[in-house]
Amino acid sequence: MVEKDKRMKLLEVKGLTKKFAGLVANDSLDLEVNQGEIVGLIGPNGSGKTTFFNCICGVYPVTKGSVRFEGKEITNFPAHKICQGGIARTFQLVNILMSMTVLENVMVGAFCRTTNTNRAREIAEGILEFAGLPEKKDILGGSLTIADKKRLEVARALATKPRLLLLDEAMAGLNPTEQKEAVELIRRIQREGITLLVVEHVMQVIMPLCERVVVLDAGKKIAADVPERIANDEKVIKAYLGERYYAKRATLRSE
Amino acid sequence: MGRLKPLMVRQPRIFWRKNYIFALALALLLALPFIFTARFQHHVMIKVLMFAFLGCAWNIIGGYTGQVALGHAAFFGIGAYTSSLCYIWFGLNPWFGMLLGGILAVAVSAVINYPCFRLHGRYFAIATLALGEIIRLLFTNWRLVGGALGVRLPLLPESLWNFQFHTTKLPYYYITLVLCALIFALVYKIERSKLGFYLRAIKESEEAARSLGIDVAKYKLVAMSFSVFFTAMAGTIYAQYILYIDPISVMPLMTSLLICVVPVVGGAGTLWGPALGAPILMVAIEYSRAWLGGGGRGVDYMIVGAMMVAIIFRPAGLISFFQGPRFRQWWKRIRG
Repeated sequence: MVEKDKRMKLLEVKGLTKKFAGLVANDSLDLEVNQGEIVGLIGPNGSGKTTFFNCICGVYPVTKGSVRFEGKEITNFPAHKICQGGIARTFQLVNILMSMTVLENVMVGAFCRTTNTNRAREIAEGILEFAGLPEKKDILGGSLTIADKKRLEVARALATKPRLLLLDEAMAGLNPTEQKEAVELIRRIQREGITLLVVEHVMQVIMPLCERVVVLDAGKKIAADVPERIANDEKVIKAYLGERYYAKRATLRSE
Repeated sequence: MGRLKPLMVRQPRIFWRKNYIFALALALLLALPFIFTARFQHHVMIKVLMFAFLGCAWNIIGGYTGQVALGHAAFFGIGAYTSSLCYIWFGLNPWFGMLLGGILAVAVSAVINYPCFRLHGRYFAIATLALGEIIRLLFTNWRLVGGALGVRLPLLPESLWNFQFHTTKLPYYYITLVLCALIFALVYKIERSKLGFYLRAIKESEEAARSLGIDVAKYKLVAMSFSVFFTAMAGTIYAQYILYIDPISVMPLMTSLLICVVPVVGGAGTLWGPALGAPILMVAIEYSRAWLGGGGRGVDYMIVGAMMVAIIFRPAGLISFFQGPRFRQWWKRIRG
């Protein structure tokens, strides 16, 4: 733990609150992501995970609180500035450029760091190689399978050369084989020195992947710990599986 | 628009593998006035080129960026009025007036169109359409600029410097052709540059574009500025060609619609779209007007309407006939 504390704090969220009219989607959340980590963000439907992402990325203005990236204040920056600053993201519902080719999709991302078209193409081809899509580069984005679309979205985000990558349910809708491939891709991204904050529904996937897991429920942070302890946390199980399951589990254990 | 074709591999560069298509088209256009020599035929050709030019200009904001602007006639008119009035008031040469008109159009569009960028789809179209009409009404009731009577340009000895030719229409044809070639080259360049990629990304998904570091409002403004600058330039050519302008002739809704329909019929968001749409629409419109005489008033509107309906069956425009696999096979065969 001592060694981990020495790592630079990459993302620092303090007391982030987001209200939609009367609904409190995020209730004074605190989160720190250190350089080189993979942090998981989990929680049941409607617990505010995507809202949290959107607040960091400047899609929504935050009601209260602050977001700092690499020590710099980035609260309420417009979305494109956040990306230029080094935070890339993917979307829960795939949001690729349907009538552009796979290569062109990634080139749009690459143009974030260059104005030269040939250079952008080189970067994009390198990224597609890395993401395992090189032979599909001339296919229209809209005609990819869901797994490839998700992969393309990650590739496109990587092309903007981020230092922090936010993945919003990158595994949703994938079959177990595809999930395994996606996990492998995420590991490779981490090895490239990119820090990841991963929103995920599929527990089996996120637990072995992350160093730390943060759990949200109804907009509040209810737990933040290493995956092994999160899996046995009483509050987490209640939030995810309901009070009844927790009671049942307790009775099963006692028998 | 090509979304309905699954697994279609995009092949936009078939024309560019061999540049002789471009050279051939240019040679044909240079020779055309000597093949069809009647004055009316020259007039139709000038109209075709002018709307090809306007279509290319609209294509930057409407085709590539996907922001269907329906008020471009206002900027066409601003270009026509600026150069004409600057000549009458200050004796400014119309060539400089043309540039000034472009700059003024960019300034006006930045003020009135920028707020519209927050609107999407049909709401943007309605807002720009309304603003175009407001500008036309403003000019109709503005005594200083001639009001509904319009502006008559004084006759000058014909020369390139004076931008007036009386014995022949040919110089107007070639001036418009040069401008067409210029905008064609510019759009070709944009298509392959960062700007072009960004504009297309904005068309596809603004949310995704933002997440990739694209300042959507800024790039929409850049696209709109390019677009209205060239639209205003065409306005000056029109003013120098007709030598009389009034709000009804340079700012009508019909012109706004035509500027949009020409590239859409040909293929919005493609380099060759306006070049395909302009001859078909403008020849049909000009000849229907000529043949049917006074009684044919309105037939041109019907043609535009019919074209808009026909486009439902070919949403990617006429260009899509040249992009299918069957055409590619045929093309390969004739190339040997």
